[in-house]
Amino acid sequence: MATNAILTENLTKVYGKLTAVDHVNLKVGEGTVFGLLGPNGAGKTTMIKLLTGLTDITEGEAYVAGFNVRRDPMHVKQRIGWVASEVILDDDFTAWENLWLQAKLQSLPEWKDRAENLLTYFGLLDRRKDRVKTFSTGMRKKLEIALALLHQPEVVFMDEPTIGLDANTRHMLWDLIIGVNKEFGITVLLTSHYIEEADALCEQISIIDHGKFVASGSPTDLKARVKADFVELETREAVDETKLRAIPGVTEVRTQGKTWILRVSAAEEVLPHIFSALKTDEIRRINVEKPSLETVFLDITGKRIDQPGSDVPDYRKFYAQMRRARQ
Amino acid sequence: MSTETTYARASRRQLASERPRVSQRSQFVGLYGRELLRTFRNPWVLVITFVQPFMWLAFFGSSFSGASPALVQQIFHTDSYIAFLLPGVLSTSMLTVGMFGSMSTIQDKRFGFMKRILLTPTSKATVYWSKVLGSTSRGLIQIPVMILAALVFGVRFAGDPLMWAGWILGIFFLGLGMSCFFLAMTASSTDWQTPGVISNFITMPLMFASGALLPLANFPAWMQAIASVNPVSFSSLLGRGIVVFGTVDWSYLGYLALFATGMLVAGTAIASRYLKAE
Repeated sequence: MATNAILTENLTKVYGKLTAVDHVNLKVGEGTVFGLLGPNGAGKTTMIKLLTGLTDITEGEAYVAGFNVRRDPMHVKQRIGWVASEVILDDDFTAWENLWLQAKLQSLPEWKDRAENLLTYFGLLDRRKDRVKTFSTGMRKKLEIALALLHQPEVVFMDEPTIGLDANTRHMLWDLIIGVNKEFGITVLLTSHYIEEADALCEQISIIDHGKFVASGSPTDLKARVKADFVELETREAVDETKLRAIPGVTEVRTQGKTWILRVSAAEEVLPHIFSALKTDEIRRINVEKPSLETVFLDITGKRIDQPGSDVPDYRKFYAQMRRARQ
Repeated sequence: MSTETTYARASRRQLASERPRVSQRSQFVGLYGRELLRTFRNPWVLVITFVQPFMWLAFFGSSFSGASPALVQQIFHTDSYIAFLLPGVLSTSMLTVGMFGSMSTIQDKRFGFMKRILLTPTSKATVYWSKVLGSTSRGLIQIPVMILAALVFGVRFAGDPLMWAGWILGIFFLGLGMSCFFLAMTASSTDWQTPGVISNFITMPLMFASGALLPLANFPAWMQAIASVNPVSFSSLLGRGIVVFGTVDWSYLGYLALFATGMLVAGTAIASRYLKAE
């Protein structure tokens, strides 16, 4: 029988008047890659803080690696690793010294062989005596993952690990995350607001919005739930909404800024009707989206995952950019 | 079979095994070592650590260079104001060591490193102690430099090795107490300005309402009252007795030990409750 590496029961976190995480029930099976998908300010990072014992639980219970986070936070912390959205390393230390410090903090008596193996795995062994400030962003990310794995954790939390990275580094990191999961058999809980990242990496996903889980399942299951295509339409002049609703095959019409989003039964059948209802020169841009995690999110929450308007500034992205600017 | 695969399988087997017992000593050594390494790898810290004592003695020590030897003897009971000043300057310099420890803590919070530490099984008390001892150690580096500077300025020292050990221990207690105070005050802060504001607020009163720079006998009664409970006074008087006159009043050391212990206990309680990860 499969066991759960992470289990929560009505997990809730309230900051003043804001309920950041609202009675969340979560089950993450051992050895899986689980994705928490949601826009900025949805409650993803708060979930990680709760599960790692970094912030107090307001209500409910959380279990990680078999230990109750509230009652046994130190046992939990011995069994988890953490990879941040920003690269957090001691820049003036060498790669080896960063590993030394992690070993000390985890009270590891024998760590040098493991550290060497990890550096070999991540292709950093030759650079172990170099100060981290001389490393590229990709190398720093690799070292950070090596730190997270040094004490052989059972669960690794990755909080938006690819935020602010260029496409090449991001894909390199995806391969590493898959490798860490498969090669080391470690459960990975990943938060992201990159749809394609969750789709590529995660076996199971929960979509979180305003602190609540609004959908859960495998990417395939979630996509199958949306039995519709979406047509994104931008017009030159204002268009009457009733005109759009009257188009055959259009089941729902939403506005998002200057853009219309039409939920349609099948895009290929509806497109000719759209072109006949609107003059071609009225249309500035048209975009068809077949079922994807993006459309799942759109269907459930009525907005795009990267849509501005959550009123929560992305400080981590800002700091990530600041740190990279310093390099 | 690749090395990585072999290692991974071994890792998986070990996952089920028991974890090593959490060692506060190991964690403390790691964090304290980090503080020292960071200090010694910062060239500016080293330069200022070595230059500042010479500047203190040059500027303050010269303030009575125009006075007649008889006047200096009458006021300070020694013919060398620099000798009189040395224990006070060392004591005063320990007032600010906690500020650097606080700033280092705030930097760790700002750049996420505190989160990295607190996501390991490290207690907030251990983090606090490592920061306190780190900043105190940083202050102690100034002692040999200051003594060297005083020798350059022609000071001749009195006292025996036991007395000197007691004096250095007194300075250590003062630095420890002040570091505890600063780090406890800023445990929940992430504002770079906070340590500076606290430092500005307390350094002047503690420095001038003490026997660090001038003899207490010339102070008005209200300043003498402050000086009588001011740890800077006790550290200065302990050192002055040893360095200038070759005599020692161990009660000063006892008071400083009490001050450091009290601050450490109170600070540990505050940090354990209020130290924030970010």
